[in-house]
Amino acid sequence: MRVLVSLLCGALFGAGLLVSGMTDTVKVQGFLDVLDWNPVLAFVMGGAMPPMALAWAIAARRRGAVLGGAFPAMPPARFDRPLIAGSVLFGMGWALVGFCPGPALAALSFAGPGGVVFLIAMGGAMLVAKLLSRPQSRRTTMEIRALTDIYAVSPQIDPSDLAAIKEAGFTTVIDNRPDNEIPDELAGHQMRQAAEALGLTFVVNPLIPGDFTEANIVVQLRACVESTGPVFAYCASGNRCSIIWAMMHAGNLPVDDLIATPAKFGYRLDHLRPTLEALAVKQTQVPGVTGTL
Amino acid sequence: MDYNAMLMGLLGGLMIGTAAAVFLLVNGRIMGISGIFGGLVDGTGWGNWGERAAFVLGLVGMPALLVLWWPTEAHVTDNWVVLVIGGALVGLGTWLAKGCTSGHGICGMARLSPRSIVATLIYVGAGFATMLVMRHLLGVI
Repeated sequence: MRVLVSLLCGALFGAGLLVSGMTDTVKVQGFLDVLDWNPVLAFVMGGAMPPMALAWAIAARRRGAVLGGAFPAMPPARFDRPLIAGSVLFGMGWALVGFCPGPALAALSFAGPGGVVFLIAMGGAMLVAKLLSRPQSRRTTMEIRALTDIYAVSPQIDPSDLAAIKEAGFTTVIDNRPDNEIPDELAGHQMRQAAEALGLTFVVNPLIPGDFTEANIVVQLRACVESTGPVFAYCASGNRCSIIWAMMHAGNLPVDDLIATPAKFGYRLDHLRPTLEALAVKQTQVPGVTGTL
Repeated sequence: MDYNAMLMGLLGGLMIGTAAAVFLLVNGRIMGISGIFGGLVDGTGWGNWGERAAFVLGLVGMPALLVLWWPTEAHVTDNWVVLVIGGALVGLGTWLAKGCTSGHGICGMARLSPRSIVATLIYVGAGFATMLVMRHLLGVI
């Protein structure tokens, strides 16, 4: 049934592209030519918008699609580099030939060899992009490095690691890595979904190397205090999670210990001694926190 | 002004929007062609390849039938260098931006998704600029 609906939607879409004239590269390029403007594409967008807006309004009142499955969630308003750079590149290619992916496919039967060449180049670029992106997107190595009985740090984790983290007894997971460092599938909102589905508390507290703020310390501390069990924090290597741990305990534990404990796992905090000593003076009394976190 | 072309544009747009609306409400999917097609090409969409392949079949097949009664020209350039570079830019760009004119331009804009609005403004802007430079300054296209 899904397959049949897909076929029909594809057919209606293809017919719409043909009827509207969008399979004609001259009309599309005309829209992009400010010196000799052809407004047809604007009318196509104007015609397509109302049915789709209505569909979203209906979707908002329904639990899921007619044939099952949830409606796609609105992606968070993150304007990352791939979105910006990708849109620039796409706009350039779109203007060069006058084809975007839909019309290029719809015109396959009558566009001649040029249409085929365009599609092969387009598909090839998608495949190459995918192959090149793989190494950095799926190489995460979780390691539970317990600084204390109730605070562990780790290099970047993957959503599939969360079950093991819960199994190990942790109840709160802190993401200390800014989203712009990582591929989208590891972004905070994706990890949150996976963590909360397992009943874990998930806290996002992005730490920018060399620029930890007092607000960062407060957020980390609050997450630890409010956690019902041990806390698991991750960043790229676990280094930032260790530094923020030392910072939130400055004044509470001897600075020597704050440096020696992470050092057991290879995190070198020696250069932060002056910072930690200054912090210790500043926050000798952290309200509501005593003992080891 | 060519009122007939505008009317047909509006009508075709309604058909496109209706297809996208049905695809969302019945199948629960975004009608984004770069995503549907890209998922088949790069393997990320093989889990539901049947749905994707059927959509592409309808998209290619229906116009193929219609042109028998409705002769249409695509006016594709015969400059293969432009075709290869243009195709590669569209492929890479939509893969990075996770959407094209259908996914970001129609589906995303219709729900006022900030990412889609930004993407659409950027690729249309880049298209204007490219056309200005390549057609009017350099005369390549």
